[in-house]
Amino acid sequence: MGRAGAAAAAVSLSRLTRVFGTQPAIVGVDLSVQRGSVVLLRGPNGAGKSTLLRVIATALTPTYGGGSVLGFDLVRERDQVRRRTELLGHHTRLYEDLTAVENLRFACALYGADARRVAEALERVGLAEVGGERVAGFSHGMRQRLALARGLLRGPELLLLDEPYAGLDGAAKAMVDQVVLAARTAGHTVVLATHEPVREGLVTATVSMEAGRVLREPAMAPEPVR
Amino acid sequence: MNGARLQRRSRTRGARRSGSRFLRLIQSRHRYVPGTVFAIAAKDLRVEARGRYAAGMAVPFAATLLIAFGLSLGPGRTLLEATAPGLLWLAVLFAATLLARRAWEAEAEDGALEGLVLAPVDKSAVFAGKAVALSVQLLALEVAVLAMVAVLFGLPVAGNPPVLAAALVLGTIGLAGVSSLFGVLAVMPRSREAVLPLLVMPVATPALIAGVKATALATAGRGGDAGAWLGLLAAFDLVLVAAGLLVFEQLVED
Repeated sequence: MGRAGAAAAAVSLSRLTRVFGTQPAIVGVDLSVQRGSVVLLRGPNGAGKSTLLRVIATALTPTYGGGSVLGFDLVRERDQVRRRTELLGHHTRLYEDLTAVENLRFACALYGADARRVAEALERVGLAEVGGERVAGFSHGMRQRLALARGLLRGPELLLLDEPYAGLDGAAKAMVDQVVLAARTAGHTVVLATHEPVREGLVTATVSMEAGRVLREPAMAPEPVR
Repeated sequence: MNGARLQRRSRTRGARRSGSRFLRLIQSRHRYVPGTVFAIAAKDLRVEARGRYAAGMAVPFAATLLIAFGLSLGPGRTLLEATAPGLLWLAVLFAATLLARRAWEAEAEDGALEGLVLAPVDKSAVFAGKAVALSVQLLALEVAVLAMVAVLFGLPVAGNPPVLAAALVLGTIGLAGVSSLFGVLAVMPRSREAVLPLLVMPVATPALIAGVKATALATAGRGGDAGAWLGLLAAFDLVLVAAGLLVFEQLVED
């Protein structure tokens, strides 16, 4: 894919391989995700979904191959990628001894986001009432929602969600869906890896992975939400 | 004449332009650095204030170390006084590794370290923020340790307070820098906890020796002779902090 094509795609990967020691986690992945789409990553445990998301987020460097995210090279322009991307993974990356508000304010300081959006973000995930409480007392679901609120602070152009429904109740799952839909409405791109069934009409394309390889490329055109 | 003047003026303008371009480059690269350093240091100190890890772990550890050494050395006042500066700095060094490990463990507990790596900030600011927070904690700890050595070992801390303070501040910056730099390695995947003291102790030796010598001279009322040792501490700080700012990104990035 040429530079123009890569810039048009939110994610464009070419023969991307990541090896841990001698163990390949993803092998020769070619993938193109169109801007504004919501792509579902499917596959059994160990298929390489989390590794793929972490490579796209620049948390991991490709061992071979490469690609671009939002038009920026994954390795050479990783700071540009990081400014525009949010990864919500297995870890919530919160500080237990800080309150919810303090955690979000710290995130604002790191990302240069407007600290005045903290209250609004907490409101959106239903944690406004407990903003002054320490995260140590939060349940798993509350921590997940707070991590989601942190992701909302700066409106990332690419949202990478790794098992976002894990351990959440129905209401919290619906909240995740709302965030995904809002991102899509804003023209942002979402890549979602989950084992759980997703709400109908939420995703616009599905990518299957197995043993570190992509089995099927996503459809290019985003479908309207039903 | 006019031609030469124009040429000089043009050269000056060119130098100014390239100078301002260089400044702009530095400013854009380090746009958020002071804010980031402050944010990370403030966050670490807030976590420490809530969890009281220094008070609950490092101070009792330092007290135990001093008492154990005091008992093993026996009641001879001269020997206790002579060894007191060394014991003070050993207590500070061990406390620094303990506190640095705790500070990085807080980053590793729920993947927060990855959050720092993925944040679009200069990674040297992360190192500086951690080192600043650790320096503040160590300076607070040193007040307690100094009181302990004064009481237990009879160290005359009022000998030359400015030189003693300079030795403590300079030594603290160096030890905080070393511990913060290597502390991150202790919480990286596939690393072992024992790696921290194994790396910190040898590298910190020059600061330890200079700190002990400067403290001994200051408490003996010969602070005027401590200039060379204070200079060594300052040089150690410069080298360590510069190395930390330069290599930290290589340590934390994949």
